[in-house]
Amino acid sequence: MNLRRLCLLPARVWTALFIAAPLAIVCAYSLLTRGDYGGVEQPWTLENFTRLADPLYLAILWRSLVIATLSTALCALLGFPLALFIARAGRHKNLLLQLLLLPFWTSFLVRTYAWLFILRDTGLINTILHTHLQLLYNDGAVLLGLVYNFLPFFVLPMYATLEKLDPALLEAAADLGAKPFATLWRVIIPISAPGIAAGSVLVFIPCLGAYLTPDLLGGGKTVMLGNLVQNQFTTARDWPFGSAASLLLMLASALLLAALMRSRAAKELM
Amino acid sequence: MNRRSFLTASATSLACSTRPRLNVYNWSTYIDPAMLELFEHERGIRIRYGTYESNEEMLAKAITGNSGWDVVFPTHSRLDPMARNGLLAKLDHRRLPSLGNLDPRFQKPVWDPHLEWAVPYMWNATGIAYNRTQVEQPRTWNALWSPALKGRLTMLDDPEDVIGACLQKLRFPFDSTDPTQLQAARAEAISQKRLLRAYLNAEVRDQLVAGDVLAAQLWSTTTAQAMRADPKIAFAYPEEGYPLYCDCAAVLRESSRYELALEFLDFLLQPKVATANAKAADTATANAASGPRDPVLYPPNDIYQRGIWPEALPANAQRYRDRLWTEIKSA
Amino acid sequence: MKPLKLYAALALAFLHAPLLVLIAFSFNAGRFTVWEGFSLHWYQAAFADTQLAEGLINSLIIAIVAAPLSTVIGTLAAYGMWRRQAPVLAGTLYLSLVTPEIVTGVSLLALFQWLFRFLRLPLGLHTVIVAHVAFSIAYVAIVISARLRDYDRALEEAAMDLGASGWRAFTRVTLPVIAPAIAAAALLSLVVSFDDYVITSLVAGVDSETLPMVIYAMARRGVSPIVNAVSALIVVAFGVLILISQRLREK
Repeated sequence: MNLRRLCLLPARVWTALFIAAPLAIVCAYSLLTRGDYGGVEQPWTLENFTRLADPLYLAILWRSLVIATLSTALCALLGFPLALFIARAGRHKNLLLQLLLLPFWTSFLVRTYAWLFILRDTGLINTILHTHLQLLYNDGAVLLGLVYNFLPFFVLPMYATLEKLDPALLEAAADLGAKPFATLWRVIIPISAPGIAAGSVLVFIPCLGAYLTPDLLGGGKTVMLGNLVQNQFTTARDWPFGSAASLLLMLASALLLAALMRSRAAKELM
Repeated sequence: MNRRSFLTASATSLACSTRPRLNVYNWSTYIDPAMLELFEHERGIRIRYGTYESNEEMLAKAITGNSGWDVVFPTHSRLDPMARNGLLAKLDHRRLPSLGNLDPRFQKPVWDPHLEWAVPYMWNATGIAYNRTQVEQPRTWNALWSPALKGRLTMLDDPEDVIGACLQKLRFPFDSTDPTQLQAARAEAISQKRLLRAYLNAEVRDQLVAGDVLAAQLWSTTTAQAMRADPKIAFAYPEEGYPLYCDCAAVLRESSRYELALEFLDFLLQPKVATANAKAADTATANAASGPRDPVLYPPNDIYQRGIWPEALPANAQRYRDRLWTEIKSA
Repeated sequence: MKPLKLYAALALAFLHAPLLVLIAFSFNAGRFTVWEGFSLHWYQAAFADTQLAEGLINSLIIAIVAAPLSTVIGTLAAYGMWRRQAPVLAGTLYLSLVTPEIVTGVSLLALFQWLFRFLRLPLGLHTVIVAHVAFSIAYVAIVISARLRDYDRALEEAAMDLGASGWRAFTRVTLPVIAPAIAAAALLSLVVSFDDYVITSLVAGVDSETLPMVIYAMARRGVSPIVNAVSALIVVAFGVLILISQRLREK
């Protein structure tokens, strides 16, 4: 067996057993009918999918796409400079990476509750500024929560790509008379395209399927696809419909992924 | 935990691999840990205690049939479906001599008149928690639609409670499956949204205490906790009616420790155990009264009569409500 | 690069702000988020809580086993895919990224239920570890793939021309070059595993409660300062670890 096959083997076995097989189960569920108490039963049906083709659910899909795109864009804007800084920090690189991740050793729920405290009507910000802004329970708060929790997911792959950026390239650009912004735009960003792509993927997709953040920071007033899926598997106890909804979610993500990959490949050919 | 107790615990657990063990799966903070220790000490049975946050979490495990848990605590409306799906073991009353300790109301409960499947454990109600200094005492669910409370009121993030409250506000039955009535309830819920701050569960407790929220649809137990922290919080049981929930102790059919499980259930029925648990959990116990009772947790009889015990709905009614809930939340 | 440094400082401050809030309130004498005086009793409660201790130990065991495993599997997979495309594997990995957590959890639960009819095993730490490795592989693969995309094949070819076997070329030439990316991927895998709640809670068994599960149970009932105390302790512990490893590295 050649080296490449050997390298791929563990991943192939593990994913076949624990990713592909469960997914096949989800597909099967989406074609079945709701059991009385969670679980599924015969008959086989396409009804779950026809239920989805309804303006109510499509509106939910749209809202999720918008919020996820905004979050990803914000993560990219905020995360890129941070990743750049860390990649060029020399011997402090590792320390900075650890500092970046330090807050994430605490539980996600706990961090979100801390934001609740900061943003509340009588919370930290309003107390310091002596105002009565309603900072919580709106789309802005949801965005803040999403960006906060997924920023490292962007920064880490971005850093992985940027850290091998050769400073000589930047010097060369400067020697040739390029202003810093032009260097950024013409040199750094194109080279870091794979990192940007990887980071965007790692942020966009969980944001699309997020449910805790819109629930807690959005006050449960908006329903994203993640909330729909979560609700179907828990309160509504409709696993088949939940499976169909998650297949929709996965399809949306996969399509975007494919588009992203194709455009990056196009860039590579240029 | 300090080193000595850790070492003792591990030594004991190693030594006690011969002691019989019982796996109990309960709602979080729903028991007094001292009572668990007492049981272990008195009966020589080790308890493995796990917790969950919702019936669905527990059900997802129970349905697998090999979850490893022996005793679970479903809410009363889940008992019938669970029993019909063969998930529960029938209770042998000969091993439950203390059943007589139950409050008369719970000896023949409407969801399980012969107490075949589960022993009532703790119960609570949904009503209106409010800030007594800023809001006058709510009499009906209508109080939660008051424009004066705009941005300062919340409802529970639970379709059964919210749709139920809307139905009761319109004087329809809580369990209604009539589409016209349900559509009317939906309209009510959507009209409330512009006044609504958020759909919150137990986390609203902090906001009530801090004064961000002036009125909330909330459970009696959570309100009791808030009241202990801040006496200006009060609780009201709406006149049109309100839902009651009872969590009951049941034994899973998959369990191979039936006798031990029943010993534990019987233990929970002992008066001092029930009182200690109720105190620790800040809930009302299904056991008979012993000592003064908080009227927030134990409403007086005339108010109690207005309460209703929701039942499990048939599948298509559940689906209809679920769609309504998605519509309400997305509006 | 002064403005960049300032920006980085602000960004890190933003990331740490909620932490400071948590830590401050862990010293609150009262239960709710209204300051009632300084107190250490939540810390005492945290230390006395056996459930917390067990949860922490379980979480650590799982992370320490799952993270290296998924890093190795993921790195090898990324390397194999870089050598030549493996569309099915790549597709499966992307699918795993794209699946909502609750769906992963429920489907794994169904798989285990089915498998265990034949194997007679209950849910436990082993099922959690298996699940964690499964969903982490994709994260690792993505990070390493991004790095490899700009790695020059010629380096390995040169090594092989000089007589090295494929494997030695990989371990002696490629691995050292992409080592920082591997470290970043391993870190990501560790954090993702340590912090996971939804999937873990579904596939955990009777004896395998993890720290997030314990914390969620406490936090869901309304904020409990024990949770703050635990979080503060975790942050301090990891902060100290970081400082120590930094010191060691600088030697």
